[in-house]
Amino acid sequence: MARVRNKNGRRGGGGGVGKGGKWKMPASVARKQQAAMANVDQVTGDKIPKSFVFSRGKMPPMLRHLQQDLRKLMLPFTALNLKEKKRNNLKDFVNVSGPLGVTHFMILTNPKSSPHLRMAKTPQGPTYTFQIKEYSLASDIANSQKRPRCPPEIFKNSPLIVLNGFAGLGQPFKSLVTFFQNMTPAIDPATVKLSSCQRILLIHYDREKEIITFRHYSIKLQPVGVTRKIRKLMQNNKVPDLRDLNDVSDYVTKAGYGSESEVDDETATVSLASDVDKLNRASKKSAIRLQEIGPRMKLHLVKVESGLCSGEVLYPKPEPNEGVVGKGKEVEEEIEGQEDEDLMESDDDPEDESGEE
Amino acid sequence: MAAAPQPLTSPPAAATNPHKRKKPAAAGRGKGRGKGTKQIGRHGKRQKGADELSEDHRRSRKPSDRFLKLLRKRARDYNSDDEDEDEELRLSDSDEEEEASVSGNEESGGGGVTRFEEGCRAFRVAFQKIMAKKLPDDPLGPILSAHKKLVAAKLAEDAGEGKPKGEAHREKRLAAEKGHVIPKDHLDSKDKELCKIATHGVVKLFNAVAKAQNSRKGLNPSRTKDAKVLAKETKQTFLTELNKSSNQSQKGKASSNFSKHVSKDEDEPGWAPLRDTYMLGSKLKDWDKAQASDVANEQTEIPLDDDSSEEE
Repeated sequence: MARVRNKNGRRGGGGGVGKGGKWKMPASVARKQQAAMANVDQVTGDKIPKSFVFSRGKMPPMLRHLQQDLRKLMLPFTALNLKEKKRNNLKDFVNVSGPLGVTHFMILTNPKSSPHLRMAKTPQGPTYTFQIKEYSLASDIANSQKRPRCPPEIFKNSPLIVLNGFAGLGQPFKSLVTFFQNMTPAIDPATVKLSSCQRILLIHYDREKEIITFRHYSIKLQPVGVTRKIRKLMQNNKVPDLRDLNDVSDYVTKAGYGSESEVDDETATVSLASDVDKLNRASKKSAIRLQEIGPRMKLHLVKVESGLCSGEVLYPKPEPNEGVVGKGKEVEEEIEGQEDEDLMESDDDPEDESGEE
Repeated sequence: MAAAPQPLTSPPAAATNPHKRKKPAAAGRGKGRGKGTKQIGRHGKRQKGADELSEDHRRSRKPSDRFLKLLRKRARDYNSDDEDEDEELRLSDSDEEEEASVSGNEESGGGGVTRFEEGCRAFRVAFQKIMAKKLPDDPLGPILSAHKKLVAAKLAEDAGEGKPKGEAHREKRLAAEKGHVIPKDHLDSKDKELCKIATHGVVKLFNAVAKAQNSRKGLNPSRTKDAKVLAKETKQTFLTELNKSSNQSQKGKASSNFSKHVSKDEDEPGWAPLRDTYMLGSKLKDWDKAQASDVANEQTEIPLDDDSSEEE
């Protein structure tokens, strides 16, 4: 009722002032509702994890690129064009994250020119600090490939996360596993559309080296038992070149070159539950091909804190002697405003400790 | 000729104390009279034509001796850099005056010129001597030893500075790119293995999805064939299917390890807005159990646990 009256009133009085004379919810209410809706998955009803990827302190251009790559990786539930200013401190991001429903932070820092990545849950933590031992940008990986494949559509859905090598590990890694699993929206096997599974994030833990390998692949499905020519014909939507052929059937029957080299691995074939595209139909066998899209990183877990970049140090366990020093650092960290400096300083200590262990 | 070496040997002394230069010059003038007279003679020659005129001029000027003095004083003031020179000038003036008194007006006028010429000559001789020096073929320059040293030092500094600058720049760049690795063109064994693991994970997920959705696949009403098959099935089968599917989906979730919420109430509607807990923060409902269930979830949900155990 109110809606109709409003509509009429607008039309009568406004006379084309508004945009098409459509009734609008009060902006504040609309915003709130929209925000609330945006934070919740409409099918599963779960809260959608959203993330901010930003950096603290001065960053060399390479790390800026890495930051942008990480943002792309975290799409679609991240701020791709997040602008941070020098005077923004962590508190600003935390304050913004609440209303926007942001649950995860990925913070790049570069203390003493050794890049670090800290992943945190907002607003309570925990915070996992990794040292980036090695990294390659998405562009580097694309350059190394003969035929880089990175269509923009694959970034419309969040990546799947595959964790490997974390089984049977102690506490910091157990919570790390849950952290990684909660980083992207949960997948319900009963309702998920296979066409939305386009990217995969592999997080592999090497126990001997204590290094977490971080890889990002795109998933490509290829129907099994379909020759390359047919596949290309279906994919490209182009009229094929038939100049050299005597008959149309030759196009199908003549063996192509590349198809034999791509021997289908039995382990990589699946029968699809639903249609993915016009080539990969439901209940047909398809081969899964992964192509790396980057970025890739080698991470070394340096520190785990219970709070957001503050609080009790859960890993590495402070030794009795060093415990006092650690406590002192924590107190310093909690002082707002100079966080960056303190964080950078405190970064180095746990490394030393872990090195000793 | 005795006057010639003197300015050469003592140019620094002359620079510091003009008194010394002047006195020998004055003495030299006494000795080297010939030169002085020559110059005077030259002047005399020049003046010969206008002798009377100059004489007239001088005479007319003579009453203004005081005026001349004033002019001299002004000139002195104008040229004076320090008191010493003034004194010296005055001294020479008095000398000249004496000379003038001896040799007459003509000489007094020429005396000033001579004095100037003398100084100029000394400088000239000194300059010529310097210029006549044979120079070593030195790129740093011949003139002053200090200059040589300075230039050498400066060049060395430049060379020294240039190198660290480049090095610092390189170091800075290296520091900025620390950890940055450009991947090789080919996949090495490690990459292949990782790719395999990831593929395996995807396969597992797809299989789990297929398992979970196969039971529902028949429900796809867009296909007439399926719809016909469905129509045959009664409500009963549908209900049993529902119960079964919920059990199955639980299993599927446990095996797929991709979802976090294993325990859901069985009578919950499939669409989220129909559930009682929709947007209420369902986590608050069983906050006391959360910790325990989380741990349980972790153990069941770690993806590819089986894989890693297989690898080992």
